[in-house]
Amino acid sequence: MFGYIVANMDKLTDEEKQHYRSCYCGLCKALGNRHGTISRITLTYDMAFLVLFLSALYETDNKTGTERCIIHPLKPHQYWQNDITNYAADMNIVLAYYNFLDDWEDDKNILSLCESKLFVREFTRIFEQYQKKCTVISDCLKELSEIEKSGELNADIPANSFGKLMGEIFVMREDEYAENLRAFGRALGKFIYILDACLDLKDDLKHERYNPLIMTSSEDFAAILNLLMADCIENYNRLPINRDKNLIDNILYSGVWTKYEAHKQKQRRQKNK
Amino acid sequence: MTDPYKVLGVSPSASMEEITKAYRRLAKKYHPDVNPGDEEAAKKMSEINAAYEQIKSGNAYQTSSSGGYSGQTSYGPGNNSSEQYDPFGGFNPFGFDPFGGFGSFGNTQQRQEAAEFEPVKRYLSAGYYAEALNALSYINNRSAQWYYYSAIANLGLGNKVTALSHAKTAVQMEPNNLQYQLLLNKIQNGGRVYQQYSQNYGMPVVNLSNLCWGLCLARLCCGLCC
Repeated sequence: MFGYIVANMDKLTDEEKQHYRSCYCGLCKALGNRHGTISRITLTYDMAFLVLFLSALYETDNKTGTERCIIHPLKPHQYWQNDITNYAADMNIVLAYYNFLDDWEDDKNILSLCESKLFVREFTRIFEQYQKKCTVISDCLKELSEIEKSGELNADIPANSFGKLMGEIFVMREDEYAENLRAFGRALGKFIYILDACLDLKDDLKHERYNPLIMTSSEDFAAILNLLMADCIENYNRLPINRDKNLIDNILYSGVWTKYEAHKQKQRRQKNK
Repeated sequence: MTDPYKVLGVSPSASMEEITKAYRRLAKKYHPDVNPGDEEAAKKMSEINAAYEQIKSGNAYQTSSSGGYSGQTSYGPGNNSSEQYDPFGGFNPFGFDPFGGFGSFGNTQQRQEAAEFEPVKRYLSAGYYAEALNALSYINNRSAQWYYYSAIANLGLGNKVTALSHAKTAVQMEPNNLQYQLLLNKIQNGGRVYQQYSQNYGMPVVNLSNLCWGLCLARLCCGLCC
């Protein structure tokens, strides 16, 4: 359920593109430094967005640097980092760990079990550091799994549960922004959950699996997703974000639709065949 | 109303799991996405949906017994608390704007139906959306009106997905009802401003192969650099 919150690169200036990429690279580097090279496979764009978003809100001082990359040995890569990068790297591990566990429990996928074992030590360490937050996340996931098992038909119920989880992740510290950040995260999480359901509907129907939108036709998806993003924007506008505004707007107004558009295009192509 | 168990092809003694299985099997066959443009399938799907919803909400037996929704079931346990929740004291059924329009009753059945929604209306006017939903869950006959009130209650709770879907159902069931259309418009308007902005921005033009490559490369780069 990850990797939906990306930018629409076509509409960014070169500078913005660079800033966005460096944010991603900074997170990747933080993951490697904090949790071992292998943890880089868990890197998601969603957490890069978290870094970008919170850094813009808190107007952090970023530590920038340049490093060479094996793929482009001649072209050094830029990155930037701050405290938020470290926080996002930790949250990235928490989410990845639960995701592996979930895949193991749902599909009995041995690979996922092994992957979860890889991260159990890192996870335990992070859990101790953010006990309260991790408990909320784990409770939300438990709740979500029960809701899905019960075959809940009201799509808002599981979506709210996933939203709660995202809301928690967006609150790095309990300060004057916490309430608005939580609301923003909730709305974004709700969108992610429903978007995921939209994209999975066909497969879920085929395999007779749970899908919260089973009673909905895909004709209605765009309207539903627009409503949810409108909520998200409402909360976004309550936060005093001035830095990287165009980049964040790009992600929230356009980039979040990337996978949806790709899916639509794929379906159209299949139909034409 | 038809027997929901018959619609799903299961015995009334079947477990919820078996019923869900039967429902998903039927959905796989009749879902509008699997049968684009097929009206017969769409109709069948709504029947299946209604039957499954009915069984899941625990109202299957009451409804199949010859339309006997007495006022009693509809009030349910919510009734006792309704008085103390109502901050306005007496509720004037004609003074309340968005839910009005039911003033003139043609026959007893309509009157009974309207009476059934009284507690729901009361909760809604006081802003007790969760209680309104609860009261709605005791009403077996899912009429257009039921979907209309359910949409309002869900909207109040921030359950936008359900609100939109139920408002749409209400309009589909009674296309000429202006009130239902207004509500649907109101809900949809919430997304329109965003949509316009979003379209001005330009939707991501996705070149599938490029996207995949881009992601892989970015990942590899970062994975291997530093």
